[in-house]
Amino acid sequence: MGGYGDVQLLRDDGLRLDGRKIDEMRPVTVEAGVLPAADGSAMVTHGLNVAVAAVYGPMEAHPRKIQRQDRAVIDVRYNMAPFSTSDRIRPGYNRRSREISKVTAEALESVVLVERYPRSKIRVEIEILAAEAGTRCVGITAAAVALADAGIPMRDLIVGVASGKVEDTVVLDLDKAEDNYGQADLPVGILPNTGEIAFLQMDGDLSPEEFNLAMEYNFKAAGEIHEIMVDALKRRYEGGEN
Amino acid sequence: MSNGQNGAELRLVTPGMAIGPIAGKRVGSGAIAQNDTIIATRLGWAKEFNNTVSVDPINSAYMPRSGDLIVAVVAEVRNNLWFMNINGPFQGLLPMSLAPWKVEFGAARQHMGIGDVVLARVQEVDECHNVVLTMKGVGLRRLNQGTVVSVPINHIDRLRGEGNATVQRLRDAADSRIIIGENGRVWIDGDAKGTAWAREAIALTQASGHKTTFEAELSALEQNAPKKGDA
Amino acid sequence: MVELVPTLLRQELARLAEDDLRLDGRGRWEGREVSLETDCLYNAEGSAKVVMGDTIVYAGIKFELRTPWPDRPTQGSLMCGAELRPVAHRKYEPGPPSPQSIELGRVVDRGIRESGCIDMESLCIVPGEKVWGVMIDIHVLSDGGNIFDACGLAAIAALRTAVVPAERFDVGEDYTLKVNGTPIMASFTRVGGRYIYDPSEEEELGGDERIHITLGDEGHLHSLQKGLRGVFTPAEFAEIFEVAHQRCTELRELVANQEGN
Repeated sequence: MGGYGDVQLLRDDGLRLDGRKIDEMRPVTVEAGVLPAADGSAMVTHGLNVAVAAVYGPMEAHPRKIQRQDRAVIDVRYNMAPFSTSDRIRPGYNRRSREISKVTAEALESVVLVERYPRSKIRVEIEILAAEAGTRCVGITAAAVALADAGIPMRDLIVGVASGKVEDTVVLDLDKAEDNYGQADLPVGILPNTGEIAFLQMDGDLSPEEFNLAMEYNFKAAGEIHEIMVDALKRRYEGGEN
Repeated sequence: MSNGQNGAELRLVTPGMAIGPIAGKRVGSGAIAQNDTIIATRLGWAKEFNNTVSVDPINSAYMPRSGDLIVAVVAEVRNNLWFMNINGPFQGLLPMSLAPWKVEFGAARQHMGIGDVVLARVQEVDECHNVVLTMKGVGLRRLNQGTVVSVPINHIDRLRGEGNATVQRLRDAADSRIIIGENGRVWIDGDAKGTAWAREAIALTQASGHKTTFEAELSALEQNAPKKGDA
Repeated sequence: MVELVPTLLRQELARLAEDDLRLDGRGRWEGREVSLETDCLYNAEGSAKVVMGDTIVYAGIKFELRTPWPDRPTQGSLMCGAELRPVAHRKYEPGPPSPQSIELGRVVDRGIRESGCIDMESLCIVPGEKVWGVMIDIHVLSDGGNIFDACGLAAIAALRTAVVPAERFDVGEDYTLKVNGTPIMASFTRVGGRYIYDPSEEEELGGDERIHITLGDEGHLHSLQKGLRGVFTPAEFAEIFEVAHQRCTELRELVANQEGN
């Protein structure tokens, strides 16, 4: 987390720099089935973030060493396009992306019924086309819709969302300035049906009370985003499309 | 909204969505029981038949079952067996002993090579998803001519139609042989015009097969078909 | 990953070719419908999205401040790369950049660079010290055939609508990048024994070698590339060159119309 500097993140009227209330989410759109080559796909915009996810599989797990005899392996690649950020990202191996790929895969493995496909793998390709804080969460949301679109059995649609703290105030859904200059960031992946959490990271400084409030905000937003995801899947397939 | 076969309205459900209370019902495919509720695990159409609640998935990978008639493509050849791409998560294996010819050890390549397209049946599938194929059986053979078109697994029924009615109409109108593989591959064998028409008709069943307009659209297409007996 | 080519596919393509037909009913030199969108990536200084049938690609332009090469103290730099990531197709497996993706980036690069549409001197800020580096990054999201033309088109459309971010780097006011001309690529694949324009995915799978021709506004050649296994004759080349001229002109108009909006 960056320092505070001279940046004032909360206005005098209590609203945030972009006019949102402290418990207000940025606008979210979801579209399913956007990539013709994939088995399932989705595009999600969250604020100025744009994420696209493609799912391929299930398929035979190669190389052999990643194969599991009792279940499918979920192989995630989270990648930020070079033009997705203000300063260009050089294409190639990126430690941050590698870590996010791992924990995202583990979150998805907690919700996909992987026992149905032993010795297989399911590829989930997450591409961030534009980044504005919270990309790993948008990636998770896009992955969930893409997996459903691909017909992969899951016990829920996992929703990615984050809250944090700026100027000693817990706020929902950090934007870029808040992420850079704020005091804490708490991204989660929530299963709306059961209220369980499959993805959790945090950095910064939060008291237990602040943590609880941030989680409350996360759960509230997850419910809203979940409705948008369901609506996107319905739009694609209802209305006589398929 | 899509209509089920007996007119009952089907509901589109997403993974995790509650379908109904479990009271007295059985849980079928595409759904699981969670406490007192039946929830969907697949994106698809929730339905109830004979007290069983299940979900017809929108999208499905091909999961082979013993007895399935499939269109396979040779992916690899060894001395005494062939690995086949069967359009599923795993390859199928055709051992020398289940080939339609008498094959000497080491001579597999002479009979079939990479890229060859065949009609085969699934002999058996074990718990580890090892799939064994056979080409011993009526009609099972290498396909030396024709075209293969892919259709989504969940569209096969609508392509077939009730009692094979739809596919038979396509065969007649295209004046072509049409064989539907359970693995989502359809073999068409006809002349250029017939094949092109059949492709179009198959695309139509994919786009509209479940709609009430389908019958009219198919009939219209049949008007332009290269029918049997036409000069 | 090496894709499996069914024998029946090649047979069918050959049969269709004999009757001057294509799988999707297009004419021999007919391209698919193309949709072009610019200014679609928030953090890029220039951007474009191209959809050709099932092929979807994005191109983003980023600017960097750099020191010029010692032997060219008054010139900026241009770099162009393409990524063929596993998102684009089942056949693209994870791993280091494939020869295909490197070739793709370099072929698009040559077409744009050699056309001279970017005046390198105009990228100079302080001679010998500070110049602009222009980075074109092409990202293929869905490979439905002929990603080369889609990438070439996206790259030049993004370039032509790029805004130099001088303010952010504190070297002046933002201004539109000066691009003179619109080099366009036309690709042909041998399918069923003869060349066709704008191959679909199945045509590429069952086809043979390909030729990429990039033409400038005056109809001059700026880059050529032949890829994959096969040979062609000068007469065949002359034939597709004629077609390239027409197709490139049409796509150039598409870019111009998009800018006009």
